[in-house]
Amino acid sequence: MSQLQAAIFGALSGSLFALMALGLSLVWGFLKIINLAHFAMILLGAYLTFELATTTGMDPILTLVVSVPAMFCFGGLVQMGFDRFEVSEFNSLLVSYGVLIVTVQVVSNIWTADFQRMDPAVNPYAVQSVSLGPLVFPLPTLIAGIFAASLVIVGQLILERTYVGRAVHAFGQDRQIASAFGIDHRKLGVLLAGAAGATAAVAGMLFSLGESLNPDAPFEWVGRVFAVVILGGIGNVTGTLYAGLLVGAISGVTAVVWSPSASPFVVFTMVVLALVFRPTGLFPQKAGH
Amino acid sequence: MARDRGWIGLLATAVALAVVPFLQEALDFASFYLVFLSGILFWTAQATSWNILSGYSGYFSFGQGAFYGVGVYSMAVLFGRHEVDWLVAIVAGGVLSMLLALAIGTIAFRLRSLRGEIFALLTLAVPFILAAVVRLSDTIDGGQGIVVPVPAFPEALGSFQSFFFVCSAVVGIAAVAIAYVMARTRYGWALFAIRDDEVVAEGLGVPTFRHKMIAIATTGLIGGASGAILALNLGFVSVEGTFSLRVPLFVIVMSVLGGRNHWAGPMVGAVYIHTLQNRLADSAYAGWSLIALGVILVLLVLLAPEGLMARFSARPRTVVAAFVATLLALGLWGGWGEPVDWLAAALAAAAVVGFLPGARRAALRPRPADEVGEAEPALTDEPMTAGVASRTLVATGDLTKAFGGVGALRGVSLTVSEGELVGLVGPNGSGKTTLVNLISGAFAPTSGTITFNGADVVGLPPHRIAHLGIARTYQIPRPFHTLTVKDNVAVALVFGRRPHSLREARRAADEYLALVGLSHLTHQLPGQVNLHERQLLEMARAMATRPEVLLLDEALAGLNPVEVDNAVAVVRRIHESGVAIVFVEHLLRVVRQLATRIVVLDQGVQLAGGDPEIVMSDPAVISAYLGREGHARSD
Repeated sequence: MSQLQAAIFGALSGSLFALMALGLSLVWGFLKIINLAHFAMILLGAYLTFELATTTGMDPILTLVVSVPAMFCFGGLVQMGFDRFEVSEFNSLLVSYGVLIVTVQVVSNIWTADFQRMDPAVNPYAVQSVSLGPLVFPLPTLIAGIFAASLVIVGQLILERTYVGRAVHAFGQDRQIASAFGIDHRKLGVLLAGAAGATAAVAGMLFSLGESLNPDAPFEWVGRVFAVVILGGIGNVTGTLYAGLLVGAISGVTAVVWSPSASPFVVFTMVVLALVFRPTGLFPQKAGH
Repeated sequence: MARDRGWIGLLATAVALAVVPFLQEALDFASFYLVFLSGILFWTAQATSWNILSGYSGYFSFGQGAFYGVGVYSMAVLFGRHEVDWLVAIVAGGVLSMLLALAIGTIAFRLRSLRGEIFALLTLAVPFILAAVVRLSDTIDGGQGIVVPVPAFPEALGSFQSFFFVCSAVVGIAAVAIAYVMARTRYGWALFAIRDDEVVAEGLGVPTFRHKMIAIATTGLIGGASGAILALNLGFVSVEGTFSLRVPLFVIVMSVLGGRNHWAGPMVGAVYIHTLQNRLADSAYAGWSLIALGVILVLLVLLAPEGLMARFSARPRTVVAAFVATLLALGLWGGWGEPVDWLAAALAAAAVVGFLPGARRAALRPRPADEVGEAEPALTDEPMTAGVASRTLVATGDLTKAFGGVGALRGVSLTVSEGELVGLVGPNGSGKTTLVNLISGAFAPTSGTITFNGADVVGLPPHRIAHLGIARTYQIPRPFHTLTVKDNVAVALVFGRRPHSLREARRAADEYLALVGLSHLTHQLPGQVNLHERQLLEMARAMATRPEVLLLDEALAGLNPVEVDNAVAVVRRIHESGVAIVFVEHLLRVVRQLATRIVVLDQGVQLAGGDPEIVMSDPAVISAYLGREGHARSD
């Protein structure tokens, strides 16, 4: 039973990593930007939630009203910069790395380098749990799972069903042709990058709900989130969710049957194997997109 | 030229560093300076190590922490836990790290579809795996950390700091010397060619896999040895401290700042970043060090991606003068700060001078051209065989290539004999370029045979096929854009059928530039010449591999009539020098003029072949060219 509990709990935690990976994967797949500043946005989102809830006593989930628009603008602005300087896929990695470490230092200067978490008085979710038969789950993990799944479904529907979604697909396949057919690539890029920033804000809020914050957290996310992006397939929305659940479940089970320190070993060995044998991801998208 | 004096500077630096420990006793300066210099030397070694793989060959790595970490833990386990001699542990660190590098290379570089970003992510994963292994294994660390005691070092060195300084200096100087030597030998040239265009490099005869393995092994060796030495100074090593993102981050920023294309770039970057970090940590702005680093990285990539070394070498005297003048002025005045502050100020002055307006233009201004016009080429050692059709060179049998379910080529049997100039024509999508790609080894056929001089060449890597005597050009020219026109040709000579030394190759390259009439552009960069000239450069480069068969893929595409006539003359000249040519072309006028025989492809099938005049009046050929409807109407 403990293994089943570990697998489900792991998968739910993994869904948070899927949500962190979602925006990164979309921007990489469609805008050809490897945006490490995405982690900066998650961090800022988490600290915004922490700050608003702690100082104003707002419900942590409601802080999204502020953090989502803020990170939408952050993401859009970064994308405008990339566009303005015509940064290549490769250089985007370097530039956004710079943005990330600047953000980490700024966060550390404002909120100190110490671990902090929201007081239970303002964050009622942290201390609650839900039991399903013999299985017990902390509420923050369940909330993360619900948010991640809904956002992935919404994202997939937008990409498949709407005009904007189709334009994004066309743009990802050939931006010159897409531009020639009247798609405004700048607006579209800023919109997509802004949406990615919005998902980052949600991921940050969910992280701060259940975990302690510190400014170096992005460096702990980077490895696992990239693992999810690669296993899910770059730009593949539903693949990202599956990969997050898979990575989470495997980490959880490995931690129980072997050792918690062994989970990165198993996960990253999977990543290496995937890169070698399935470079387009474990969950190929159906043709016809 | 200034760049050939690099070794003098290197030697002078080495000598100067060698006497520093003895000067400390004589002058009694603070041991802070030994520690400071050791830091610069450590980062010089790590950044230079990273740059050999990621700067020279262009395969960007986030895995420097893995090589460094293997070195650190070799020292910690062998010397710290098992009391093996520290010198042995340094060597072991280097060798183990090199083995890890070779393992990564064997997996990654075997992949045909490996893209740069995928390699970068692969190397990002490696330190995480290593960290997990180290933490899990009780024979290595087990998560507790390891104490590294102070080693027994030769007494002549005095303090431990002197000893550590000497070790760091040996590895730091060795790293830069290796990078310097590589940049001046065929190894470096192979890597530069790979960085600029790996497919073309392979096609010109560069064994790309082998050279990438050499590069990654060198990176591993230096990174590991340097890490092992640093462990001596750490005293205590832990998984978290060792496999953090600090080392990969710093080596990247340093190399980008200094310049990834230059052997001294990472060293310059290490001096700047280490000094900056040191001064910031000592000041009231300690919390700003990462901000400074991040802002520098962003600004550099956006505004000056070529790095400081490129700016410095554009006006070396001014930069050195600014540096020395600032240092002397502050030193003689003595009213502000300590020597390390003067150094920081002098470095800043040098950077400002380097970035003053005008430097960029100087860096990009073409060097004065060589004397123009050695008249006609003198390819005397090739016999004149034109017109004497005889020996079969290339023969394809029932060659088929399918992409997915689409048959790009279906059962093509083509022969090319000595002295022929075969015109390969056909509408768009008829499989002409696919045929060129198959013969040159860029793709493997789905079925069928390809022989060259009677020997089967299917499945050989392109560089082996180039060595046998088949060369090709690309429809859209693909020059190595960081090499001069002359060096583009010289690369082909160095790695071609008869390997030349660099010196010979540079001399012999003139002959090929004269053959295509580019002698006046010798020292230009490919980006500075026009399309026609780049297409001629493609031909010169292909000829420099000394082929028996030359495959020209639409060498006249996009040219104006005058340029076409010039290119036709060049092709004829090449043909007359005794090289058989397969000539993919749309301009039927040109094909008629040049070809000794014409082969027509349509939708992957060979339609006709033979004498140009006869083929051109074949109704099937006319129909393929003018379209079926047009033909039907004329019926």
